[in-house]
Amino acid sequence: MSVRNALLGLLAQRPFYGYELLAALDGIVGGHNAWTVNSGQIYATLERLEKSGLIEEQPVNGTAPDKTTYTATAAGRQELTEWLSAPVQTDLQHDEFYIKLMLALSLEGSDPYRLIQIQRASLYQELHAVTTQRDDLEIPTNLAQKLLFDKAVMHLEADLRWLEMIEARLDDVKRQPVQQVEMRPRGRPPKSARGAKSPPQTDKP
Amino acid sequence: MSVISTENLTKIYNSGTTAVTALDHVNFQVQPEEFVAVMGPSGCGKSTLLHLIGGLDHPTEGQVHINGNLLTDLDDDSLTELRRRQIGFIFQFYNLIPVLSAVENAALPLLLDGMKPIEAHDRAIEWLSRFDLADRLQNRPDQLSGGQQQRVAIARALVAEPSLILADEPTGNLDTRASDEIAGLLRQVTKEWGRTVVMVTHDPRIAAYADRILFLKDGRIVDDTLLETKDGSSYDAVTAKLKEIGD
Repeated sequence: MSVRNALLGLLAQRPFYGYELLAALDGIVGGHNAWTVNSGQIYATLERLEKSGLIEEQPVNGTAPDKTTYTATAAGRQELTEWLSAPVQTDLQHDEFYIKLMLALSLEGSDPYRLIQIQRASLYQELHAVTTQRDDLEIPTNLAQKLLFDKAVMHLEADLRWLEMIEARLDDVKRQPVQQVEMRPRGRPPKSARGAKSPPQTDKP
Repeated sequence: MSVISTENLTKIYNSGTTAVTALDHVNFQVQPEEFVAVMGPSGCGKSTLLHLIGGLDHPTEGQVHINGNLLTDLDDDSLTELRRRQIGFIFQFYNLIPVLSAVENAALPLLLDGMKPIEAHDRAIEWLSRFDLADRLQNRPDQLSGGQQQRVAIARALVAEPSLILADEPTGNLDTRASDEIAGLLRQVTKEWGRTVVMVTHDPRIAAYADRILFLKDGRIVDDTLLETKDGSSYDAVTAKLKEIGD
């Protein structure tokens, strides 16, 4: 998550004390378990936002001088609007498990089927944990957060189905080795090769 | 004592000249109050396993113990009695009797066991009320939603107070929402009412409600995964288990 944009979004609604922001973020995502942001991150982000002129401190009357609230500036609101109207990009093809599996296929002594089993067990444990957390939510008050848990459930389901597909096709994949990269000499070609004519092509009809 | 214990459980179907091995020397135990999901590709032997545990079919080789009773030792009458008193069944298509009301359907196993109708109905009403069906007692199956029909079927499975519930694709005919509800209810059946549940499913979403998943492939258990993560040690347990299976 972009903590930066989330804070900007909150501070565009009303002034917040720094310590209130952590609770406000937890409130949106459905508790600290769903998404862990620590207070250090919050304060570091506030500092950067202030330096960029996107938020400003607002002294609170009648309190100690170190107790200040923050609020979004006009520039901050402008940036927030741009962020809200831009689509969110996904990055589904950067998949660590896929890389592991491909390497396991060609590394001696590693068993790709074992990798699948371990990954599947872990995904099921995650799915079980998310399902339990979701079912523990009080639905009338936490309907919004349930959507986030639903997303997690759906993605985990998809990953599990993908593993099933991989398992069914792994033998075919094994028979079709990963394409080898063509090795090219780096740097300047050796003298003997320089100016040499390319060999006559004999395979032309 | 284990609720279920199998030893080299094997089932071979002979069709004409070819023999198909549906289950191949399967060994596992299920402890009281466990919620176990059985998964695997179609034809892997999931349903055969459930049928053998439930005494609905005879193994070619090997043994099944239910609460210490060796199924192959029992004659037909004793087997029928064990099925009626110690095992409750839940099916994909509910298998309710269309002309009977919810309460009559749920009370049926008790009536077949010779209980007085008024007592049987009281017990059925008790279970139906636990499943939020107190205002649907007199409805026939066609007047109930799929999820409600399956809840009647679960009440029917529990009314004789069996220790073991066997469910064959219990959410296979339900939408996502009703499926979650039924899976949650089966979890409650183990955690709140202390029964043991073994459920065959192909749906990861539903299997995730269980405490443990058995994966079957070509008639063998290829993986046995614990899902409960109370003390955070279960991941290690699973990895250890995988090593065991692999080596």
